[in-house]
Amino acid sequence: MPNLSRPHLSRRGLLATLAASPVAMALLTEAARAADLAASGLVGELQGPTMITDPAKWPTKFQEAPMLAERVKAGKLPPVAERIPAEPMVWQPLNETGKYGGTWRRAFTGPGDVENANRINASDKCFFWSADGSKIVPCVAKAYELSDDGKTYTMHLRKGMKWSDGSPFTADDFVFWFEDIYGNKEIVPTPTTDMSPQGKPGRIVKVDEVTVRFEFDVPYYLFEEMMAGDTLIGGGQSVRQSQKLSFGAYSPGHYLKQFLPKYSSLEEVNARAKKEGFENWLQMLHFKKDWSLNTELPTLGPWKTVQSINNPIWLLERNPFYYAIDTAGNQLPYMDKVQLTLGENLEVINLRAMAGDYDEQERHIDISKLPVLLDNQDKGNYKVHLDLGFAGSDFILQINQSYKADPEIRKWLTNADFRRALSLGIDRDQLNDTFWLGVGTPGSPVPGESMPQNPGPEWRKKWSVLDVRQANAMLDKIGLAKKDSAGFRVRTDNGERLRIQIVAIQAFMPFPKMSEMVGDQWQKIGIQADVREMERNLATTRVRNNETHIYTWNNGGTELLYLFPRHAIPVDPTEAYMGPEYANYYASGGTQGMKPDDPNILRIWELFTEAAGLKAEGRNHNAQEIWKILADQQYGIGTVGQSPAGLGVRLVSNKLGNIASRVCNAQHCRTPGNSHAETWYFKA
Amino acid sequence: MSATTAENKVAVASQRQLIWWRFRKHKLALVSAFIVAAFYLVAMFADTIAYTEPFDTQSARSYIPPQPITWFDADGHFHPTVNALKGKRDPRTFKLSYAPDPGETRDLVLFGHGYEYRLFGLIPTDIHLLGVSNSRPQDALFLLGTDQLGRDVFSRLVLASRTSLTIGLVGVVMSLVLGVLLGGISGLYGGWIDVVIQRVIEILRSIPTIPLWMGLAAAVPNSWTPQQVYFVITLIISLIGWTELARVVRGRFLALREEDFITAAELAGASQMRIIFKHMVPSFLSHIIAAVSLALPAMIISETTLSFLGLGLRPPAISWGVLLQDAQNLQTLALAPWLLVVALPVIVVILAFNFLGDGLRDAADPYG
Repeated sequence: MPNLSRPHLSRRGLLATLAASPVAMALLTEAARAADLAASGLVGELQGPTMITDPAKWPTKFQEAPMLAERVKAGKLPPVAERIPAEPMVWQPLNETGKYGGTWRRAFTGPGDVENANRINASDKCFFWSADGSKIVPCVAKAYELSDDGKTYTMHLRKGMKWSDGSPFTADDFVFWFEDIYGNKEIVPTPTTDMSPQGKPGRIVKVDEVTVRFEFDVPYYLFEEMMAGDTLIGGGQSVRQSQKLSFGAYSPGHYLKQFLPKYSSLEEVNARAKKEGFENWLQMLHFKKDWSLNTELPTLGPWKTVQSINNPIWLLERNPFYYAIDTAGNQLPYMDKVQLTLGENLEVINLRAMAGDYDEQERHIDISKLPVLLDNQDKGNYKVHLDLGFAGSDFILQINQSYKADPEIRKWLTNADFRRALSLGIDRDQLNDTFWLGVGTPGSPVPGESMPQNPGPEWRKKWSVLDVRQANAMLDKIGLAKKDSAGFRVRTDNGERLRIQIVAIQAFMPFPKMSEMVGDQWQKIGIQADVREMERNLATTRVRNNETHIYTWNNGGTELLYLFPRHAIPVDPTEAYMGPEYANYYASGGTQGMKPDDPNILRIWELFTEAAGLKAEGRNHNAQEIWKILADQQYGIGTVGQSPAGLGVRLVSNKLGNIASRVCNAQHCRTPGNSHAETWYFKA
Repeated sequence: MSATTAENKVAVASQRQLIWWRFRKHKLALVSAFIVAAFYLVAMFADTIAYTEPFDTQSARSYIPPQPITWFDADGHFHPTVNALKGKRDPRTFKLSYAPDPGETRDLVLFGHGYEYRLFGLIPTDIHLLGVSNSRPQDALFLLGTDQLGRDVFSRLVLASRTSLTIGLVGVVMSLVLGVLLGGISGLYGGWIDVVIQRVIEILRSIPTIPLWMGLAAAVPNSWTPQQVYFVITLIISLIGWTELARVVRGRFLALREEDFITAAELAGASQMRIIFKHMVPSFLSHIIAAVSLALPAMIISETTLSFLGLGLRPPAISWGVLLQDAQNLQTLALAPWLLVVALPVIVVILAFNFLGDGLRDAADPYG
């Protein structure tokens, strides 16, 4: 067997012959890069339609889409004035009043890609975020109050609002969800912490037809954010009640009752399930309440499924009872249909996108194809927008703090100076240039400076700039001074080369290749990185079994830490690359997993747990403190972020109107959800 | 030479000579033999022929197109040089472009200095077949261009050939030994041994290989390198792969053991082993050679295919399949078509192996 591993790597010989590099391509400075990005004309300003909340300015006469007018004429639908709530959501579109009609062509990757249209139907959430992603704004509900003690959250619904089948949408739908869905142990075996601050379960109470009250035993000021975020309680019906999930605060009780044993009998629902080809009533219920599968399910979003996701074309059609109108009195959405066409792999989708086969597509568009996408703009009659994100790192190396299989490796992974040295050994400009085409922001994993939880601009660079000399000095100092003949540092227990494994899977970005580049850069600090590309399920198993040293992913969603903490801190065992056993400990209240011996992690947990009971200012302060610890401790090594790499390369047909030049690209904005596709229209 | 002397020569020639004479006539096979030998020579001296460390990444060298060599200087003297390159990314199209810097050239030299390695794993050296004066080769020499990470395609291609050409050899040899041995025993003895071996073969043949491959890839220890994983999987696959050869060998044995010359050898008191290896094996050597020469390219193709599908070797290991996998996307076709060059050696070596096998099979049976 020949020697197939890395050739002998000492660079002494090379350094001796080192002369000026004949490939002259200077890496751009940050300022120059920002100027270039502005010059490219691809990054616009955060914008969207304006919500009109003053009833005096609301229109009094209403119009509807021609396809619905026909149905009204045929007597199949009530007139438009009766379908719109007395208190509708009123939008002033971004540029102009649109025209009705047309089918929005888009791509999806199969039944697993339900999130694709969940997001464009995201106005079925109780509350949402403003176009810039900074403020909570009304959505399905028109207002809320949080009591001074933080224990009572009162939500006001829109008078006269209706489900897509015309039945009234009221407080009863929240009580039904709480008691009959969430409260049923067979449907929801594990209650969500979203509804149980500090482990104490909350309640949902009907005050009157349009008023719902959430009651908690402890202060829960965070709840207002939870209701607006992409959380289990606030996510909305589409995302939280599809794919066998049963969360999301309300359900169409008048429709779903027929599938529950409580309202007939177990025998009856089971018999019906058998008749319809399901194993039991529970399986039938999971199907019936999934908007992507069941075309009969009443919903609240702008479009509803008319051909289910299990087809080569997932077809959505306008909801005739949708609760939003424009300032001219036109019921939204403008576009009649959304047609999602199956594209088995990303290459196919990107190729079709370039041919102009999709009217708007930001999902599954690959940033590394940007030059080709730009080349084909005229041919495909589309325009490319880059929507920069807010998360600190689109490629983060999460260092497993609960690793224990090899005590020597554990010793180093849990050593702060070791982690800092690894971070100082990464040349982020190289990564940015190669994989982000220079459009990202290099630095630590802290969220963007415009976000309320950003700890301050100085934390962007904390331990997160290239400094090979300091990194080497730190590694020498902590006891890794000895090197082998090839210049790699050796283990202190047996003198063999210290090998740190990086597990990378091909997702979102080419993480394996990025890891290869980092591994190459770490040679200069004498660290041997073994990059392991794995299939996703296998990698997940390895993480759950606590077998990984370093796992690569992005830290999307952490820009609002409390709404999506799992990419930053070890609290959620579903994804806890920085310490699965610690997350088990936290999530189980100390009955499972491993208790951290690192006081900094215990401090993070303390700040995190405390935050739920704090008002916005205090919460954000706690988050800033957590980010300072994270940046200083480098549990996750940030590389390049705030880029358009995830969901931020947006192709929009020139035929579409009311398109924002930049869309809020973030988990809580449900990209492109909060740019409200119901206000887009076909110009011709 | 008269006809009689030629006939005499044939009459007294050894089996080996006969094979060589016969083989020589098959011109295509002869050329193929040289090609295959050349490939293995490249694999043997891969580190010397490559001039850049295959993992050396640099964003400033991303997607450099293949570099032209200027063979003669202005006076018409043979003086190979390459131009230095000036690269920049267009801020509007995001494309990288490299323009030669005519003022600055580097001399191309033989046996220049590059990265350090051990020749045959023994002799430490930094001499490479090609080098450039006044500069590190990884900064100046890009004969077949570079990939996204700025790694030299030529060097990676050369080093990949070492993996792709050698890793299947062991598997083939093992299949061969097992196939001949077990097939021979089965055919020679017959009876219950034959029944057992044949049933085992049937069971083994019914195992689907792709799921087996996936399962094994998941089951091997975490700490193994991608090459080790692949090597072991190849071994395990070859434990299944011997069955086809065994079937054929058994058939030949069944036919041969009734032949008079076997009976004669038995009566003369020859041992079983002597009968098998001295008398029976040579008489169907041609078939074995054909089987092997077809199994080798099959191994190479399967490595390439499985790696291409993401089941075989994974980066950072480099093999032809891994390099091809790198090229299977839009931006490669549009921006860096030179990455597809990997397909060429795969095609050439597979064809060469097939022609060689053809020639050998004809030659191994010189009386046929």
